[in-house]
Order: sequence, then structure tokens, then C-alpha cells
Amino acid sequence: MSEQVHNRLAMVRAERKVSRQSLAEAVGAHYQTIGYIERGQYNPSLDLALKIAEYFGLPVEALFSLKPFRPLTDEAYGRNQ
Amino acid sequence: MNAQLTRYDRWMQQTMNRRAAAPLYATAGRRRVLVVGHIALTAAYVAAFLAALLDASIVAACLLVALLLPWCLATGAINSSTRGLLELRRRALDERQRAERSEVLARAHRITTGLLFATVAAVGGYRLAGGNLEAVALPALLGILVVHWLMPMWVAGLRAQDEPDDE
Repeated sequence: MSEQVHNRLAMVRAERKVSRQSLAEAVGAHYQTIGYIERGQYNPSLDLALKIAEYFGLPVEALFSLKPFRPLTDEAYGRNQ
Repeated sequence: MNAQLTRYDRWMQQTMNRRAAAPLYATAGRRRVLVVGHIALTAAYVAAFLAALLDASIVAACLLVALLLPWCLATGAINSSTRGLLELRRRALDERQRAERSEVLARAHRITTGLLFATVAAVGGYRLAGGNLEAVALPALLGILVVHWLMPMWVAGLRAQDEPDDE
């Protein structure tokens, strides 16, 4: 069982100028684990996903989704396709 | 990761996350060379140990001493490439590392089980062919013991991934 969970972690982390190391320390994970999540090589537990979402002050569905995320520009400017 | 880390845990964590030897295991190819080199060094070490023990060979005893340092360095490099996956206590690992350790141990167990069956078949066949079991019992037992001991480290070294891109 390896359901692909899509995430926007790399984008949000870059936007907030947070290093992998800082995020990892804040959520109690190894910095490599953050890299694995960003590359889609590891699906975090609900516990870790919630901690990451809480760190950024975002709902968990803003960072993780079972469906691919639409490009942010489409969401911001309302394009449907 | 559990917050209840001892001073020893933190020291081990820092040691295993040092980047000093990073160029040695930066790519999958280098990690493969490292693991194959470690297997070769281990085989040479076991052979030298048996020769020193059974034949009282001085040359083999000298070889044992000479091989110790490169073997320790290669072991350290593999452990460093896995960030101490097998060396750190469970509480010092995060959830992905714990899952990876379980996967490594499961794979190593499967491989070692296969090798144990092969060893039993080979030794049994040798005996049935009229061979002297006493001559092969110690090398076979020692060999499979060392493989059983080190297989998780070899598997972990081969499964280690490249560092994420620099930020």
C-alpha cells in the first residue's frame, strides 16, 4: 500500500524562507525526512503532517492532498483549466 | 523523535550526522563501491582470522592488524551514509527512519535466511560427497555469523539516498 500523497511543502517552505533543518527541528524530524516528503518519497504520518501544518499556520489540506495540486497561479487568478 | 534523549543519544546523533566523510558516499555509485569494498575487507579479515587461528600464521596475524583500521573506517563511512540508522537508539530516530530501519532489517533477514539455507545445503552436499566436515565447519559457521551480523549495514548502505539539493 503506497498511496501517493501530493504536497506543497517545498513551495511553502521556500516562500516562508524556512530551511529544512529549522522545520525538521520544529516538528521533531530529521532534515532528510523533510527532503523525502518534498520529493514524494515518503508520506508523513498524520501526526507529522499536522505538526508541519501547525508550524506554518495552515490547514493540513493546504499542504497535503491525495489529488495533485492545481498550480498556485491558477488558484490565485481563478483559471479553471 | 522522542524528546527524552540522553547526553549519549545526542552525542551519537551528532556523530552520525557529521558531514566530514560526505564525499565518500555522496552518490549511489560511491555507496555501492563503499559497500563492496567493505564486503571485500570483511572477507579478507575473516580469512586472515581463520588462518591466524588454525595455522598459527604470523603473516595472517599481521594482516589482521593491518586490515583493522581500513575496516573500521569503511564501517564508519557506511554508518555515516545512513545517518546512524542502525546505530542510534530507536528514540533518536524519527518516524521515517524507524520505518526504514524496519525495512532494512526485514530485507537483511530475508537475504541471510537464503544464505543460511544455501550454506546448509553446501555443507551437507560436501559431507555427502565424502568431505571432511570438521575442516569446513568453523569457516562456514564463522562466515555465516559475520554475514548475519553485517548484512543489515550493507543493506542500509545500499538503500541510502542522496542528500537533498542544497537550499
